[in-house]
Formats: sequence, C-alpha cells, structure tokens
Amino acid sequence: MRSLRLKFFVAAMIDLKFDHVSKKYMVRQEAAVGASGNPLVRKLRSLRRRARPFWAVHDVSFEVRRGEALGIIGHNGAGKSTILKLLSNITTPTSGEIKINGRLSALIEVGSGFHPELTGRENIYLNGSILGMRRREISRKLDSIVDFAGVRQFIDTPVKRYSSGMYVRLGFSIAAFLDPDILLLDEVLAVGDAAFQTKCLERITELKRTGTTIVFISHDLGAVERLCDRVLLMERGEVAASGAPRDVIAEYQRRAASFTQTTSQHTPQAGGESKSAAITSLTFHDATGHETNFSRTGDAVTARFEYEAREHLKDVVFEIIFFSGDGNLQCQLTTEPGDSPIALEPGVGVVEFSCAELGLQPGIYHLDTVIKHRDAPTAIDWQPRCAMLRVDPGKLVHGRFYLPHSWRVTQGAATKNGTHADQSFGELASRR
Amino acid sequence: MSSDISTELVGDHVLQGGAERRVTTIGAPSFSPLRLLGGVRKLVQYRDLLYTLSVHRIKVRYKQSVLGIAWAILQPLSLMLIYTIIFSYIARMPSDGAPYAIFAYAALLPWTGFSNALTNATNSLVSHSNLVTKVYFPREILPLTYVFAAVFDFLIASTVFIGLMIYYHVPLTINALYSLPIIAVMMIFTTAMAFLFSATQVRFRDIGVAMPLLLQLWMFATPVIYPLSAVPRRLLPFYLLNPMAGLIESFRQVMLYGVRPDLRLLGIAALLSMLLLVAFYIYFKRVEATVADII
Repeated sequence: MRSLRLKFFVAAMIDLKFDHVSKKYMVRQEAAVGASGNPLVRKLRSLRRRARPFWAVHDVSFEVRRGEALGIIGHNGAGKSTILKLLSNITTPTSGEIKINGRLSALIEVGSGFHPELTGRENIYLNGSILGMRRREISRKLDSIVDFAGVRQFIDTPVKRYSSGMYVRLGFSIAAFLDPDILLLDEVLAVGDAAFQTKCLERITELKRTGTTIVFISHDLGAVERLCDRVLLMERGEVAASGAPRDVIAEYQRRAASFTQTTSQHTPQAGGESKSAAITSLTFHDATGHETNFSRTGDAVTARFEYEAREHLKDVVFEIIFFSGDGNLQCQLTTEPGDSPIALEPGVGVVEFSCAELGLQPGIYHLDTVIKHRDAPTAIDWQPRCAMLRVDPGKLVHGRFYLPHSWRVTQGAATKNGTHADQSFGELASRR
Repeated sequence: MSSDISTELVGDHVLQGGAERRVTTIGAPSFSPLRLLGGVRKLVQYRDLLYTLSVHRIKVRYKQSVLGIAWAILQPLSLMLIYTIIFSYIARMPSDGAPYAIFAYAALLPWTGFSNALTNATNSLVSHSNLVTKVYFPREILPLTYVFAAVFDFLIASTVFIGLMIYYHVPLTINALYSLPIIAVMMIFTTAMAFLFSATQVRFRDIGVAMPLLLQLWMFATPVIYPLSAVPRRLLPFYLLNPMAGLIESFRQVMLYGVRPDLRLLGIAALLSMLLLVAFYIYFKRVEATVADII
C-alpha cells in the first residue's frame, strides 16, 4: 500500500502536497489592567480561562509539481506565513498532512541565523549547517557564495562589523547556493539594493530553470507575476483563488478594491451601525474615466470616494492615505485645506480626488480612507487598508518620488546687449 | 525528526535521475516509538550542525574576553580556593585523608561542568528564539551543544587537576580509567536534565530564574564539599536517589584514592540516567512540535 502510494508520488512528480491542512492557535486574552488586585490571583485566573481558538490556516489543500514555481499572495494575516512555517516544519499542523519530496530549504528571514561575533566564513558554515548542509558541501561552495555576496575582502571579519547590505547579501547567497530540491522564499526580495535584487531574481530564475521547485511568498505582486507559474490567493486562512498569476493577481486587486469583501476582515469600528457617516467604496479611474486597479507613474488618475451620510454634518474632511507594502506612510490626499467647509446632507455622495500626474514610485500601495470632523481627533469613519493601487513603471523615477515638472533650455542668456537668444522647448515632459 | 514527523521507512530513498530524494511527512503531533527513532535519525542527519554549533559555542564564549579560555579553569579553581580556606582553615571538614584542596577540586571539576551545562542549556531554546521561529533543525541540538561545550571546559580544567595530583603526589592507578564511563553517564544525565529544563523553560520562564538557586541546593545535596562518608547512614537510600551523588563520589574515588568504584552505585545511576534521557527526550520532542508558536 505504502509503496503504491509512493509510486504515485513519484510518477506525478509532486514535490509538495498539502492535504487538508489546518493550523489552530489559541489566543489567550490578557486580563484587563486593574481587574484584580493580586497579580498571582490574576495569573491563576488567566490560566483557567479558556483561550479563544484562531484558525490561521483552515482546510488548505494544494500541490506543487516538480520544477513549478508557486506564488502565495494575500493580505497580512491571511495565512501565508503560517503556510511557510508549516512547510519548513518550524511548526506542525493541528490536523491534516504535508508531504515533502526532497530536501527543502526555507529562506524566511535573511541572516536570522547569523552570529555577530563570528566571522563571515564561520557564519557561512554555521548558517549552511542550520539549513541542513554538510560541511563538505559548504566547503565546496564557499567560493561561489563569497563571490556572489561580494564580501571576499571581509570574509574573516566578524559579521557585526558588516554593513547591513553586506549582511543581507551574505545571507541570501548562502541560501541561494544550497541546491535544495525545494526552495521557500518569504519576502526575501524586499531587501538589498536594486542591483542585488536583480541578481537575486536572476539566481532564482536560474534555480527554477535547473528544476528547483519554488514556493514564493510576497507582497511584491510584480515579482510574483514574473517568477511564478501559478498563484494561490489566501484569504482568512483559506484558499480564495488559484490559477494563472495574472488572473489571481487581478482577482486579489478586485477583492481589495471592493469593500463588501474586505471590510469584514477589519475589526468593527467604534460606533458600528451608529456611525454618522460611512465610506462605502473607493475606486480609481484613469484619464479616460475607466475604472482601474493600476496606474503608471506620471499618469493622470482620479480616486472616487463614495460615502453615505446618516445625519447633517458640518465641516467634514475626506482623506485617502497611501502606505507602501512595508507599511510606511507615503502620502495623503485630503480636502482639509479647502476654503469653504464641506457640509453633508443625509444621503449618499461622491468625492473625487484628481491627480494630473501621479508622483508615486512603481509598487503596490495600500490605502486607508477617512471621514472626520476638521478638528476632532477621532474619525467618523476610518477604513484601514481598504483598497490597493498598483503603480507600474511610467515616467522615470530616480529617488523617492516623481515630481511633476516641465523644462526649458535658454542659451546665451547673459549676452552684453541683454537680448535673449531664447530657445524654448515649452512644456515638454521627460518621457522615458 | 520530531515526534510529529516520520520519514517513510519503506522506499525511503527515491532514486530520481541519480539524486537521492527523501519523502517527509508532517502531521499533527503524536507519539510512537517509531517516530522517536526517526527523531534520532534526523539528529544524526544534522550531526554537522551539532558539531559546528558546539565549536562555535566555545569560540563565541571566549571571544572578546581578556582571559579567554582561562575562564574555564578559573571557575572551579577559585571555588576550590574559597572552600579550601573555609573548610580547612576556618572549619574542619573531613576529606577521607586527602588534602582538602584536591579533595574539593576532584568534585568541583565535574560539578561545574554539570552546573554550567544545565544553566546554559535551560535557556538555550528561549535565547535562540530568533532561530527557532525562522528555521527548522532538530531543536535538541541547542541544549546538546551546551553539554558538549561543558565537556570541553571540563577537559581544559582537568589540566589543573593533573597539576594538583602531581603537586600532592597522588598516584594514578589503572582504576582511573573508570572515570571515562563515569563521565559518560554524567553526560547522559546532564543531557536528560537539559532536555527537561529547556523544554519547560519555553512555557514557564520561572525555571530559568530558579536555576541558580536550584543548582546551589543541588550542590549541597551532592558530596562536593564534603565526603559521602559524612552522610548519616539511614539517610543514604534517599540521598543516593540523586544520581549526581553517586557519580561525583565515584569520580573522586577512582581519581583520588585509586579504588574501584561501587559498581552497583554506578549501575543504578547509569540505568536511571538512561531512563530519564528517553523520558525527557520524548517530552522535549512533544514540546518541540509547537515550540515556535509559544516561545
């Protein structure tokens, strides 16, 4: 029976198999501050109190064939990282079974196994063995690892003296030369400079070409689309969609843009139904007015913000806040500096923010929407991370953002008689 | 391989274009003797990590310290000096005829090894939480490396012991060879306790806090600074339930007095240590399955 199953396993060349896997975490709520005087009494009570179950992954099944690259995308907390932890055996499932055919290496956090006091060389051995390599194997690959990371000069220096860039490069290089049968990657490309990122992608592509099975978890939808053959969309611990990268990513963006599907993910805002106004949708439109989920740097874009007011409101402010994939605040659109205060009548309405030239760098942006009173500290309605906008490369960006600009060249401006030999190029923009 | 993982025993190695592939199955935590065997096999598979990490443990410990490796000697040596001053000049302590300094050192040498190994190993999972939550490897490697590092320190500190033996003209007899099995049993017992404490420390950090006190009490319950002959006879059966008591006394007997150890005593300690090792290894593997979730 067993050998039969094994034969099937090999014949179908399935390298990874998730079979109805679930993972439950028990979430114990901390006792409220000042609930009981004696800390010991409180501790004992909290031990007795039943913890609340939370299913980080619920009944997930999928397979990855040999040499295939599977991407896993989804919101934070959708279960992506739990899947990775289960695959790499850092933790075990509550039920279900995972089958792994071959040697698996996971690169979850670059350099997490480094010891600062040890030299680069010693750390290569340490990290290599943590990832399951034999010493002999490491010795054989030492040169390639050092060269790829570009740290030959510092190989016998303790890594605590390394710059963060060197640290990251060395960490990735070790994993990249492991030669695993299956490689797990979690947000590893979010680190290092652009040149090294390109190098990493090339290395991953090379591994893929030589038949390494890859599972890639990332917020970088562009990289997922380029690298993966198939994508899995996770939502609340379950597989929401799976298929060709383009389709699944489009589905992800569609879901992210429509409130009805995502708002249930957020904890109900204070007030709930009694909110005096609510944001009902946020959509983006291109120059021709068509609804879209992506734009390009330098293109015109309009954000359309629908709301419903349930009572008369005086002096309200609408805001859209942009966050990058790593959660940093990038910029905001607001009606705040307007001269005439906005008063709302009960009923529905629309606010449109127009940008003539979008200044954001290419990437994925997560958006918060807010309705608030001009001077009040708390929002009337606040929808965190309720929508997403993908910005594709358009106008060239060197630096942090694209500044809309025009240019003009004037030659021979400082002539004796003060006349201008003027050569105006007018409103020409620096198209790529 | 933890208690929750078993490598298929049938057709373990799948030949695929000449490359060996191993099928691993991960399921919910459960226990069977077969899986325990799998755990040991996974440990053997990772033996290079055990070696590398143990060596680095030793290197890191003495890096950036002025006295470096001399610390391995200084610890038992300074304890020996203090106890010698107290128990041979201030108070009189029987030492079965041997000079008190070497009498104390013969027991402090293995005891500091045991005590250091246990203190460090207890914290090993918690102090490596960044690794434990990011990478998989058999977790028992972490406490084990501290046991090996302690053995290394023991060997370094043994040089002083040899010096003392020459100084006090203590003859070395063939019975000194018994020290090897004694140390082996001591390592087994230390490993068993390291598994118990490090796994428990993950959930109850009290263990780590209580460790110095526990080891202090434990030392007084072991014939380190006094001879076993000073223990009242009627208390002996209870007293010897502590395997360290029999082991430390045996080590001193074979090294200092050149007599054969009480083999029955040694046998009981060995048997007890083995049983504890198996029991606590099972417990450790059970905790390991979810350690990344609770650490």
